[in-house]
Amino acid sequence: MSPEMSADTTAASGPGIVLRLLRAELGHGILGLRLFMVCVAIAGAMLGLVWLLSAGLSQAMQDNARRILGGDVAVTVVNEPMDPGTLAALGEIGALSRVVELRSTARAESASVSRRVTVELKAVDDAYPLIGAVELMSSGDFQAVVAVRDGVPGAVVEPTLLTQLGLGLGDTIQVGEVSFQIRDVIAREPDRLSAGTFMLGPRVLIPFASLEATGLAGRGSLMEYRARVRFPEGLAPAEGLEAVRAVEPERGWEFQSPDDAAERVRQVAGRTTTFLGVSGLAAFAIGLTGAWAAVAMWIGRRSRTIAQFRLSGATASTVVSLHVVLVSVAGLIALTFGLGLGVVGAWLLLDVLTEQLHLVWSFGDMGPSIVLVAATLALGLSGAMVAGLSGIAHLSPLRAMREDVPGAGPTRRSSAVAAACVAAAAGLAIIGLPNPVMAAAAAAGLSVVSALLVFLGALAARIAGRLPAESFIALASKQGMANRRAVMLRTLALGVGIAGITGVIAVQQSLDSAFRTQIPEKAPDLVLLDVQAPQVERIRQIVAETPALGGLQATPFMRTRMLAVNGVPVEEALVNPDKDWVIEGDRSFSWSAGPTGSELVAGEWWPEDYDGPPLVSAEEDVMQAFDLKPGDELTYSVLGRVFTSRVANIRKEYHRTMRPEFLVVATPNPFRDAPHGWIVSLQAEDPGSLDAFNAELVDFAPNVTSIDVRKLVVEATEVVEGAILGTLLIASALLLAGALSLAATVAADVDSRRREAVALSVVGATRREIALARLAETAATGLVAALVGGGAGLLASWAIVAGAIRVDWAPGMVVFFLPIALGVLTSVAAGLSGGLGALPRGRGQLMRLLVG
Amino acid sequence: MNVIRQPVVHLSQLKLSYPSPEGEVPVLNGIDLIVQSGEIVAVTGPSGSGKSSLIAVIGGLEPSSSGDAHVLGQNMAEQSERDRTLLRRRDIGIVFQAYHLVPSMTALQNAALPLTLAGRADADTVATRTLERVGLGHRLSHRPSALSGGEQQRVAIARAFAASPRLVLADEPTGNLDQRTGAVVIETMFELARTSGTALILVTHDPSLAARCDRTLMIEDGLVVS
Repeated sequence: MSPEMSADTTAASGPGIVLRLLRAELGHGILGLRLFMVCVAIAGAMLGLVWLLSAGLSQAMQDNARRILGGDVAVTVVNEPMDPGTLAALGEIGALSRVVELRSTARAESASVSRRVTVELKAVDDAYPLIGAVELMSSGDFQAVVAVRDGVPGAVVEPTLLTQLGLGLGDTIQVGEVSFQIRDVIAREPDRLSAGTFMLGPRVLIPFASLEATGLAGRGSLMEYRARVRFPEGLAPAEGLEAVRAVEPERGWEFQSPDDAAERVRQVAGRTTTFLGVSGLAAFAIGLTGAWAAVAMWIGRRSRTIAQFRLSGATASTVVSLHVVLVSVAGLIALTFGLGLGVVGAWLLLDVLTEQLHLVWSFGDMGPSIVLVAATLALGLSGAMVAGLSGIAHLSPLRAMREDVPGAGPTRRSSAVAAACVAAAAGLAIIGLPNPVMAAAAAAGLSVVSALLVFLGALAARIAGRLPAESFIALASKQGMANRRAVMLRTLALGVGIAGITGVIAVQQSLDSAFRTQIPEKAPDLVLLDVQAPQVERIRQIVAETPALGGLQATPFMRTRMLAVNGVPVEEALVNPDKDWVIEGDRSFSWSAGPTGSELVAGEWWPEDYDGPPLVSAEEDVMQAFDLKPGDELTYSVLGRVFTSRVANIRKEYHRTMRPEFLVVATPNPFRDAPHGWIVSLQAEDPGSLDAFNAELVDFAPNVTSIDVRKLVVEATEVVEGAILGTLLIASALLLAGALSLAATVAADVDSRRREAVALSVVGATRREIALARLAETAATGLVAALVGGGAGLLASWAIVAGAIRVDWAPGMVVFFLPIALGVLTSVAAGLSGGLGALPRGRGQLMRLLVG
Repeated sequence: MNVIRQPVVHLSQLKLSYPSPEGEVPVLNGIDLIVQSGEIVAVTGPSGSGKSSLIAVIGGLEPSSSGDAHVLGQNMAEQSERDRTLLRRRDIGIVFQAYHLVPSMTALQNAALPLTLAGRADADTVATRTLERVGLGHRLSHRPSALSGGEQQRVAIARAFAASPRLVLADEPTGNLDQRTGAVVIETMFELARTSGTALILVTHDPSLAARCDRTLMIEDGLVVS
């Protein structure tokens, strides 16, 4: 306790006095805290929104992990069903459900028109789903709806299929050789994410028993056979997983536990949640800095009032209590409002997102996160309040009589308390945000940058003090820098704002660039899957005869399973756990006589007439998985035969051409003569010729899945633009928060220097000269803040983009100019408002200051 | 040869009012005043009679509502805010009861401000000399917070006289000072005004001080009553 606070026992003190003063001050006092309240509200809304959204998404994925997987464990094999022995063994461990997924074509046949649409077909058995339920628009029972009625099996579909085919409930679609009656529309499919998020067409669910009759199996279609097991009560998950592993067939399978499923989906959403986390932290830091500056400004403006209270007998503790209560009430109102907005925004967005992802979510799940966000904000705000209010206790009552008595700054103890509050808030944010390592690194980085800004601010003030000043502008700006504490505060507030804005915009720009690369370029117009060799020849013939068609490419398509690298089993040879998917189950495989057109990272292609033992070309992911290089030996199985081949080269695929890409490509021999399907891609000059080709295709290749890439590109573009718009909105909100924080800093400066401007005006300094002097002064701090804040923002964005989001760092040129622009803008704003705005313009206003 | 002396201040039917939520509040209601070069004029009157407002209009700090105000040959009604500011810089010094020094500047820097603004290379030399004349030669590098009230007011006086203005306006310059210190301050001002031939308009409540001036103007309700 300060001596003033303890010694003054006769003066007015106690809660009663504070309450009485509070009644008198509440309305007007809080009105003066408008800027503070806006800063707090924006920090609350931004942090609340992004935290709750990212935590909600992560939590929903965790909670839905078993639902997404469709059981306690799932195993997948491709093309050939699991043998009955394996299925029986799985059935003994727990409840078993079988699902087959494949891409196919649904046709609507009528006398006048024949339409076809690529669909994601899923045949499910009677036990499906083991976890959760298929929600239908009519709320009917799924198994009853799809059951065979009058010899016709039922199907439930996504609404887009009805739109694309112009059909309604009760109409029939032809899939392969079977007609299915559309009986209902899917509202939510519990295990929708089990097959990934990329869908080529609308989902169609049919009974397992009807799949065989379609004739799609065994015609080269890529089919994924999944078996899910739900463990009985009493069986520990670890034991169940071990039991399932024990029955793995020799051909291998892809094994997934709920954690694997949740992790995979979380990785997909990782970019979004990381970006949200970074934006939230930046908004929080900027909002708190703004709040601190706004409180400091308010205290500065009230210093005479405070001194009057002290002169009237109020103890230091009474005055401190009064202002703490005033700021707390204002902060609480703003925080409740801002956090409320954040909660409502997160609620609405989570509702939409979880519906799109077929996840189940409830508002109650947000409860713990809301408490954590509120606690973080309250702690951070307390730190800002302590920093802003701590000088009150030591403000001399003389201030009431003499304007030149300096205001007291925060004591070491209050600075330590403020720092502890902010550190505790950062700690909560680190614990609570979905990416704690990134949050911790961001908090640590922010601390370093803050220290650097304070140091450089002090250094700038010191250097300014030693510079010669001949002219009025040089003298006035130099003297403006003499208040080292004010310069440090301004540099810190500006620098943190610039760092946050620059960092988030740079991350947003990189995300924007990464999103755009998902839009296929140079894509073919049509891709045909599961084409058999004779059908390839027929397609070549049609394309040759049709001038509007061209660009035909036919690529063999097979599956492989990697077994060993240089004789070491793949499980042991794996050096990069992020790439473990390359050894899980069957992967894409092809053969080629010459270069595929992909970029070579290392090694060389084999000559077109190569006739030696098989060589392979490995995709970059395989190289990263095993630290593979040309000359290494890869052991793999194709169609049950095991091969060991030397790696000839490493390829890089950019995954944006919509052309077939393969993990492993081998020399033609001996694969050319093995049974396999083909993938065919072609281009068309107009949609009409493509439609005519598709119609002809139905006749001679009903098994072939035809993908209209043009529609996919349009859909992908819409999704990407939506994502870009979302990140832009968040970045814009942050920009607004930053602008307000900077406004608070500028306003604080203008306010505290008003009397100085009046004194300069009395001796004949014009508004322009005062503005120029202020501009020179703020330009110095603006420059330091722009260089340090901008550099830190760029560095942080690089670390986040490369380390956490893992896309290419592409901040764009604008981000390099942004810090300078923000620094200049703030300097000019501070200079102009400090010079032109500091002198009142209304009649009688100047006189009030002069004689007051 | 007769030399026609142009008055430093010539006010005719000068009126001033301030806006308020309840409407315009009249402050000056038709002031007529002529002050010649080198003349020391006291302005007295009860609080709220319009004394400080009169100083503000003459100093170009407030534009009048109506009437004529010629200061140093300039019609203030025709001057822009910038012109009035430049006139103040060149030829008018002002001293307020509340000093209005720049807190971050030293006594020397404060006193030199009008000269620095005018771009005078000898600003520091002249200001040092002026501060020595007001008895503050030993306080040049002190900031206002390290000076007593009397010392601060003497810095303000040095600042007002440093650029050798033709007119100095002083609004209750001793209002914040004790009698002895106030007397020193007034002596300093009178001495500077007399030796430089500067016209001085001095607002005061002190009848004995007013009596020492060349003449006294009594204002009540915005009108000159004697």
